[in-house]
Amino acid sequence: MLVSFNLVMALAAVPAALVARRVGPGRTAAVGLAVFAGAGLACGLSDHLSTLIVARCVQALGGAAAVTAALELLPATVGSERRATAVWASAGATGAALGPAVGGILTELVSWQSIFLLQVPVAIAAAAPIFAVARHEAATGIVEPELRKTGRPHLLANLALAMVSAAIAAALFLLVLLLIEGWRLSPIGAAIVVSAMPLSALAGSRLGPLVPSARARAAAGAILVSGGLGGLALLPHAEVVLTLPPQILIGVGLSLVLSALTETALGGRAPQAIHGGWTISARHAGVVIGLLALTPIFTADIAQQRRDAIDAGTAVVLDSRVSPLLKIELAQRIEMRMEGERGRVPTIGPAFEPLPADPTERAAVLQLRGELQNQLDRGATHAFSPSFLLGALLGLLALIPIGLARRVSL
Amino acid sequence: MSGVLRGRILVGGAIVAAVVLVGVYLAAGGSSYVPAKTQDPCRHRPWRNPEGIQAIAEQFSLSALDGAACRLGVSRETLAQALASPQARASFSRRYGIGDAKLAEAIRAGLVRAVDDAERAGALSPFLAAPLREAVRRIPLERAIELVKDARSLLDNAQTFLGPAGGLLERFLP
Repeated sequence: MLVSFNLVMALAAVPAALVARRVGPGRTAAVGLAVFAGAGLACGLSDHLSTLIVARCVQALGGAAAVTAALELLPATVGSERRATAVWASAGATGAALGPAVGGILTELVSWQSIFLLQVPVAIAAAAPIFAVARHEAATGIVEPELRKTGRPHLLANLALAMVSAAIAAALFLLVLLLIEGWRLSPIGAAIVVSAMPLSALAGSRLGPLVPSARARAAAGAILVSGGLGGLALLPHAEVVLTLPPQILIGVGLSLVLSALTETALGGRAPQAIHGGWTISARHAGVVIGLLALTPIFTADIAQQRRDAIDAGTAVVLDSRVSPLLKIELAQRIEMRMEGERGRVPTIGPAFEPLPADPTERAAVLQLRGELQNQLDRGATHAFSPSFLLGALLGLLALIPIGLARRVSL
Repeated sequence: MSGVLRGRILVGGAIVAAVVLVGVYLAAGGSSYVPAKTQDPCRHRPWRNPEGIQAIAEQFSLSALDGAACRLGVSRETLAQALASPQARASFSRRYGIGDAKLAEAIRAGLVRAVDDAERAGALSPFLAAPLREAVRRIPLERAIELVKDARSLLDNAQTFLGPAGGLLERFLP
């Protein structure tokens, strides 16, 4: 389920671009948006996981067609092919950062279905002006000379895009999980926290035009993404505010690196839709690989960390100075909370209620509660570290193709 | 400012920002987390000068848990979690393949070790320890679990069982 959309996008982007070249970008984008909207409606109304997955796959097909065809339509709107490339690349980077925040807010305020249902009017609104282009194409047909010979894709830029996208997927996906599953934030709380990333990405998009070298922007972006992921891997305490500096680095970094690499992959290459398709394919393949590689590491780690934390917490209880009867009762209540949370790190406070009336014992119990929650929170935070570190490594490895891109002409 | 210089400043700034963030988090203890270690239950833990039946009962429970956990090859903490509720016990049984008979045997062995430890610490006289040892060797599982959770009743019963003679003898024996 998690990767079905990205997998289909990765596989369908280039074929969709070829279709756009054959039948016309207006018609392809219109059909793509219609399919995207229809499948979004099906996602929002589905009551089974299997139908949701199928609908998401269909939605990805529509999305691939709309996004790649849009690249062919943009020059007429923004004035030049170069400007169109920059707008398209920037929109992709901002969208990647914005997704988790918007999704979290909608899930909490309305429902998870609303994420998909909201896509329907948005897609219809986007399709309205495109229908005019599609009608024009239907009336005039496609001008055959425009079907220029397709050049080879920019391998190094697309490879770097895939590696950086894997790292960014780790940042977005794992941070949301850490906040909700590890630190027990509500989805809206997590969405507000991770909104630091898209806000930083917006700031980063202002930085990009000041530096003409796409290679420098890509390298700086990859370094910032890696540094941010390194920071998330080394969080000293389980505190939300400590995630903000790493998020700022990742947000600015992803804006710089995604747009720079997309521009590099597209720059001077024709047709734009096909090469845009390759960048979409590389980015979504990176997300798939990132999630498939990092999720098993993360799930194995969090299961082990949870066991360690529970054992450590029980040791704290057993070695504490509270009375034996209270100790056993506390151990029972804590065990029940652990079981009740089914894998999430529990808020341990309620297990200690009501607090003992005796002031000495009350102080001992409060100290015990603090120690135990600290063990659980630090254990949960630490469980994410190897995955964040691997993400940081992926970001740094992307510097190799970025560095080679200047020396090798493809 | 030339485009090349701007590019170098951007890359340099990114390196500095990344290194500073990672350095500050490392300095603040970002890599220092080590889960609290659970101790080997087969190692004897010294008793804290027990005073009063409650303090003795607490250390008796911990010794019994250690002894049973050592026999089963699990940590004291894992066994304590398993004994918290029937559901936890069933889950423990499935995970470690330990049935009730083996659990009962281990808990009885743990209780015997607890009596030994109490005697060694001077909390129980040998006169009390000997019958207690015999009593816990034949105790049913559920009762044994109750005793691990709260040994006060066992210690109270021992006093009752021996009656005034127990008190008299305790004056002469450590």
